[in-house]
Amino acid sequence: MVGLKAIKSSAHGQIMSGAEMTLQVLAEEGVDTIFGYSGGAILPTYDAVFQYNNQHPDKQINLVVPANEQGAGFMAAGYARASGKVGVALVTSGPGATNTVTPVRDCMADSVPIVVICGQVARSAIGTDAFQEAPVYSIMSSCAKHVFLVKDPKQLAATVRTAFQIARSGRPGPVVIDVPKDVQNWEGAYDSESVLQLHGYQDRTNSASKRKMPEKKKDAFFKLLEQAKKPLLYVGGGVVIADAADALQRFMKQYQLPAVTTLMGIGAVDTTDELCLNMLGMHGAAHANYAVDDCDFLLALGARFDDRVAGIPHKFAANAVIAQIDIDAAEIGKVKPVDWSFVGDLKTALNELMDHGKDFKLDRSSWISHLQKLKKEHAFNFNRESDILQPQEVLEALNAITKGKAIISTGVGQHQMFAAQYFDFKKTRSFLTSGSMGTMGFGLPAAIGAQAANPDALVIDVDGDGSIRMNIGEMETCTTYDIPVKILLLNNHGDGMVVQWQSLYFDNRFSGTDKTLHSKDFVKAAEADGFKFARRVSKGDNLQEVLEAFVNFEGPAFLEVLVDKNSFVFPMVGPGMAYKDMMTGPYIKSRDSGPTEGTLETSDSF
Amino acid sequence: MTEKKHTICVLVANQFGVLARVSGMFSARGYNISSLCVGETDDPTVSRMTVIVRGDDQVLAQIIQQLNKLVDVIQVEDLTARSYVERELIMIRVAATGSVRSEVLGVVEIFRGKIVDLDARCITVEVTGAQEKIQAFLEMMRGYGILEMVRTGEIAMTRAANNASGNGH
Repeated sequence: MVGLKAIKSSAHGQIMSGAEMTLQVLAEEGVDTIFGYSGGAILPTYDAVFQYNNQHPDKQINLVVPANEQGAGFMAAGYARASGKVGVALVTSGPGATNTVTPVRDCMADSVPIVVICGQVARSAIGTDAFQEAPVYSIMSSCAKHVFLVKDPKQLAATVRTAFQIARSGRPGPVVIDVPKDVQNWEGAYDSESVLQLHGYQDRTNSASKRKMPEKKKDAFFKLLEQAKKPLLYVGGGVVIADAADALQRFMKQYQLPAVTTLMGIGAVDTTDELCLNMLGMHGAAHANYAVDDCDFLLALGARFDDRVAGIPHKFAANAVIAQIDIDAAEIGKVKPVDWSFVGDLKTALNELMDHGKDFKLDRSSWISHLQKLKKEHAFNFNRESDILQPQEVLEALNAITKGKAIISTGVGQHQMFAAQYFDFKKTRSFLTSGSMGTMGFGLPAAIGAQAANPDALVIDVDGDGSIRMNIGEMETCTTYDIPVKILLLNNHGDGMVVQWQSLYFDNRFSGTDKTLHSKDFVKAAEADGFKFARRVSKGDNLQEVLEAFVNFEGPAFLEVLVDKNSFVFPMVGPGMAYKDMMTGPYIKSRDSGPTEGTLETSDSF
Repeated sequence: MTEKKHTICVLVANQFGVLARVSGMFSARGYNISSLCVGETDDPTVSRMTVIVRGDDQVLAQIIQQLNKLVDVIQVEDLTARSYVERELIMIRVAATGSVRSEVLGVVEIFRGKIVDLDARCITVEVTGAQEKIQAFLEMMRGYGILEMVRTGEIAMTRAANNASGNGH
């Protein structure tokens, strides 16, 4: 199963331990940061990190140790999302490995390339219920893109190398390598060339990523586009992952095509561009959702019609011819039948279409002006006269400072949706959020990872009081490593999104979600963790000034803003609702006479 | 869309944990497996699975695409639309004494079964065939009182006529 790879390193043939080989492969893969937590079964590899750094003073591999291995997984994910490179987490067996299950599943669901290396008990002890033993292979099988248990030490280097290939190829995802302790301690000659041969997988991903679009398919595409009076692009996270954002912007310009983006697609299109119609879906912009209702041609690019976008598939873009491009054949027509589709690399596909349609002209100015009107009339809005700070006004004020140039990560809930709605993004890979899994606690470790990948960038974690508690141990990680992440905590004393649903669908019974009686002092907590900037603001304080100081602070900074707990996220396409029935709330104008308040029966949808 | 039975042939790397990954894909996505058979091919690094599932066209398309995403899967093929041969082996032990015994032997003869074990009270029979034959044989045996039964699940192969480009597995 071992084949040959072209690159040969100077370490080839040297006698070293399995642990040293692992480090050697990581270095050859260009890894500059490892996120992880040591422990018994991974000790040899941690020792190899130490030794490697001793021997390579000018080519250090930084080690960031979190409070909990879940933090390491999300740091690796934040690193990968922000940079496009493979993130690496290194953890011990048993609890170390199981603590990474959540980030591994999160990365699978959002197609994020990470490699998690777990220590495992020695081969002779596997299956004996040994100390800190867990069945990592079977646990991770259910949630990772692929899992390896290295039983033959001679295959260790090839396995680690192959794990990187699998993580980044095709539709990216997390790969877990379970390495028994005796395999780490084993000594042998380093083979710098071998990779595992994965016949079917490699053939399939190569053919998908190198696939040329047939001429007939291109003709058919332009024919559909020509017939379309109201074309719309539906842009998903696939555009970000494929690094196709530049190609997409040219595509939009060339044919004057407006675009809506999913939560994961945010950043793929410059939100300040007039052709950008912002996020669609459950909490998308009213104008984005109306545009979907109005369009007669919808081109899905790396987007998968998920239930937060197309809750009722047959009512989604019901009047449109549907076209779809995706690297994953399983996504074509999975939710909604498509009229035209292509499985392949998005960047290549868009470039090919542009080459083919060099002289193709499309003038849909009346459609564009219709959309501009929608955008003006149904823009995001909130209570601007309240005596209590509104979360939206905080983000609007922060956006006026960052101007689309910051990297924003979020937890999960109302603050996440407000961040998606109120921030501008000028470049791809600048909005990091747990889209599919919806993992609370994602924001802070992801911001740390993103900052590690972009030391000079302004990285802001927009968090909620529920979400930040989930990985609050990582506050200390910021100060320990002087990672200058800015943490903006929008504290509404509760799990706001769940509160919103309880208010709409459970007659205001706030079971388990009200935190008004919780006594945590977040500012003191930040101070205790060594934050030199730790402040709290509420209505009446000079918000703008504090935000400026917060963003410009050198080093990690923490700012808690006390916000209105009754400020709900609108628009909202409730469960079982079509876009035309969307609740726009009290401050956004609705186009139709559908309900503006939540009056629907409790539904099994969620 | 209507549900129907599909016979899917999957070539996989003959490695630790592959069966768990394949069956895990079915359970995670809520697809029911009617039967699953695995065995090594003439290439010891490759195993061949025959999976019998029921579903409509869309479910089947998803099953095949999702199987294709598994790293250890080499090739997936739905045999249903093609001409193929399927076989299952069943072993049945029935109570058979006195005059019943010759009756049972007669039925076994008709189904071209084989007696694989025998004592004074019962007979154990092996029958091989396609689903319909196995089902018919089972119905016949029910009347005599089935003491124990085991089935292998189906295995399948396309007919040589449409398998000119076959890869030997």
